[in-house]
Amino acid sequence: MSKALVCPCEDVTLDDVEGAIAKGFHDVESIKRYTGFGTGICQGKSCLNTVAQVLARTPGVAPAAVLPFTPRPPLEPTELGVLAALQVDEAEAPSPGVPPFLGAPVAALRPEEPVPARADVVIIGGGIMGLALAHNLAKRGCTDVVVLEKDYLCAGASGRNGGGVRMQWGTEANIELAKRSVELMKQFAGEMGINIWLRQGGYLFLAKSQAIAERLERNAKLHNRHGVRTEILSPEAARELVPQLTLKDVALAAYHPEDGVIFPWPFLWGYAHSARKRGVRVETFTHVTGLLRSGGRLAAVQTDRGEIACQTVVLASGAWSPQVAQLAGVALPNQPHRHEILSTEPLKPFLGPLVSLLDSGLYFSQSMRGEIVGGMGDPREPAGLEQGSTLRFLGRFARALTEQLPVLGKVKVLRQWAGCYDVTPDNNPILGRTPGLENLLQMSGFVGHGFMMAPAVAERMAEWMVSGQADDLFSRFNLARFSSGTLEREDMIIG
Amino acid sequence: MRRLVPVPTEASVSVDFEGESVPARQGEPVAVSLLAAGHAVLSRSIKYHRPRGPFCLAAACSHCLMRVDGTPNLYACQVPARAGLQLQRQNSYPSAKVDVFHAIDWLFPGGLDHHAMFAGVPVAERVMVKVARHLAGLGLLPDGVPPQRQPPEVLQTPVAIAGGGAAGLAAAEVLSAAGVPFVLLEREEALGGRWRLGPPEAGAPATLTVGAQAGTVRLHTTVLGLYSDGRGRFLAAVATGRDAPRLLLVRAPRFLLALGGHAQLLPFIDNDLPGVFAGRAVSDLVRRRGVLPAEAPAVVGHGPELRGLVQLLTDAGARPALVLDTGPSPEAGALSGRVLEAHGRGRVQALSVEVSRRTKKKVSCDAVVLALPPTPAYEVACHAGAHTVFRPELGVFAVQADADGRTAAEGVYVAGDALGGTTAALAADSGRRAARALVREVAA
Repeated sequence: MSKALVCPCEDVTLDDVEGAIAKGFHDVESIKRYTGFGTGICQGKSCLNTVAQVLARTPGVAPAAVLPFTPRPPLEPTELGVLAALQVDEAEAPSPGVPPFLGAPVAALRPEEPVPARADVVIIGGGIMGLALAHNLAKRGCTDVVVLEKDYLCAGASGRNGGGVRMQWGTEANIELAKRSVELMKQFAGEMGINIWLRQGGYLFLAKSQAIAERLERNAKLHNRHGVRTEILSPEAARELVPQLTLKDVALAAYHPEDGVIFPWPFLWGYAHSARKRGVRVETFTHVTGLLRSGGRLAAVQTDRGEIACQTVVLASGAWSPQVAQLAGVALPNQPHRHEILSTEPLKPFLGPLVSLLDSGLYFSQSMRGEIVGGMGDPREPAGLEQGSTLRFLGRFARALTEQLPVLGKVKVLRQWAGCYDVTPDNNPILGRTPGLENLLQMSGFVGHGFMMAPAVAERMAEWMVSGQADDLFSRFNLARFSSGTLEREDMIIG
Repeated sequence: MRRLVPVPTEASVSVDFEGESVPARQGEPVAVSLLAAGHAVLSRSIKYHRPRGPFCLAAACSHCLMRVDGTPNLYACQVPARAGLQLQRQNSYPSAKVDVFHAIDWLFPGGLDHHAMFAGVPVAERVMVKVARHLAGLGLLPDGVPPQRQPPEVLQTPVAIAGGGAAGLAAAEVLSAAGVPFVLLEREEALGGRWRLGPPEAGAPATLTVGAQAGTVRLHTTVLGLYSDGRGRFLAAVATGRDAPRLLLVRAPRFLLALGGHAQLLPFIDNDLPGVFAGRAVSDLVRRRGVLPAEAPAVVGHGPELRGLVQLLTDAGARPALVLDTGPSPEAGALSGRVLEAHGRGRVQALSVEVSRRTKKKVSCDAVVLALPPTPAYEVACHAGAHTVFRPELGVFAVQADADGRTAAEGVYVAGDALGGTTAALAADSGRRAARALVREVAA
């Protein structure tokens, strides 16, 4: 016994909270993610203020920097069956949602000391891409690197995704990248000393329409050629994997048992910690305000904490990449698209694979903690940097989910949130040099699957940057393809 | 633990608690029935399998989550008792009374670091993922599929009020008098909140009544959030009561959020033992349910509710074993200090406190009552775009508002405990001020 509980829902103790603060997590959002406090059934009602009191006592933490975490609706656990009764006007576009999206960083959380005056490489964006790249560069001896993140680590899509990891893709390039990523994920805890909870329960894709069924069959053959043992299953065989599925109108399913889910947040902390240990500066709550051009190059990155003169700039800002590129006068074809997601009360394990219905963009899995985590694309979602939550999503998702898995009707939603897909015209990333601005390297456009690709992409990119040897990945997915090249479309996008 | 008011025969029912028949009063929360029958442990915690009993009785903790009639993770404090109801504790083996997994709690006295545990240890890491998956989660899947729920009810009003406590009620009174229509949503079976059921306070308003002519009051209606769509903003809520749960959407140009606050937990050792109660849970037990949760409780905390609770418990026949003011400015003559540790196996039997730098005391008691200011319910105001401020003197995040309760979000007002709780009288004052401002706005 002998534990002082701060968050009894998740059994988070006072020692856990003080430990996280001692590790350098000095904002409530980060402490929440690192300790898990406030993520249980009461959603922080009984613990948030206790954590704030502990943080407020910490030397160096200004009172204005003690801020609550973003309260996620709904306020009370809400039955999926009740939400499924919401009448949604499918013709109407979703609203921006709540809470209102505040794009600007919180000034009180910004460190006071200036950023380094110069660096070899400045990486803009402290998401999975930027941090994995920093780690891989540092491992190869390139340690004069600064990573700039405008918020806390995990604030962007890297901290907002469902943690899915799969090798079932529609193009050779993505299959190979995903295979390598899974290999690296298996080694992650050993190298970084932090668990990422990879659970290979498989991905079960369901198809209703003939076109999607044919796509799954075609892709399964491609997977098999690349050593990925995807099987095409009848609805009856799919039901053996998940007995509770109704499989209403489902024509067939594709299943690959080695796909799975991971816990996203520790990836970022692991990469950041490894990079910092080797001398990389990871600067959070720091906003890029300008990119200084000099001839055909970028000379410096301007921030709200000073200017960094540098040799190379990497743009790894996810859905914010077009905005940042604009600072250098570069137009990117990427468009941000909100994707909403939710999490339910924790249940004892019953669901092995992540299930996705490609026809509607519905997906759901059971996390290591037992929650059902899932989302669904909205065809009416306009382009834009929105990260608010809507009741419309709860209604649409609850209806679609309970149609496939009626046994979840009385299961309760605990929280909903949203993140942005970084969508490109061909659903493939933008990598390599920027035409006309040679030292600006692109690392964006991952259309909702950047998280699972990052370990492999960052490894290849660091090798390419340090060795200078040509790599097909950085020419094939170069920005120039949109004006001169041929586009190879990825068709296995959920949502 | 005893009933101050005997259960009348016509209201007397039995619920089934893991095969044992437990007497209950029809309609009272089953958590209360179990408490009154002497059952202290209602659940086991998620990670360390620590025994838990009711704490807040307001659906804002996790201590009373049970499987009820085949549905997992229901707040026993919100489930009305009726004959034959099936109640089971969760997350334990072979039983919640003797749970072998509680060994995790003893084996890891310093806590279990899930980030670093077995990280990178070849076989152990893989085994851990499997074991952890099977230990995780709380309840089992529900037994049944619910019937299809009715589509939402939609109401439109000039002013939507969330919460019918002292602040919401006082506001409704002003709006009624001015003839401004409103819709007021209240989670409980009756209006009044803390003013009716909290620790009695000197100077609390004697009566608060809502004139029926102007407003619509919906009881048993729990607010979920302040959302928006193409037609504007609305409060989303779930109405329960006698009927099956149903969504209610209240569309309005103006909102008054008076959702009160949540119970605070003091971080002392073994603060989650069964028998540690939030102050307002205790006043609710005594005033509404006629149940005295302890004969010799330790009452600790600060602020106006501390004295009120001691008085209430004493009047009900209890003899407080200890009254300790833990606040920064204790009342003259009060014993002051801080709480160190609760003791007991399966339920509170004693409390250790520090009353001066050198003096520690261990006091035998049969409950610990935490009389602390509530933590403001800031959530829904933030959904709308209001800001919060951390108030170090109270140790809470309060919603930022001007003297009339106007927040940074257009048309969104806040009153009562959400501003940083004090007394029912002040909560009512803030409700009245906000309502007057709303009346002026509607007229303009």
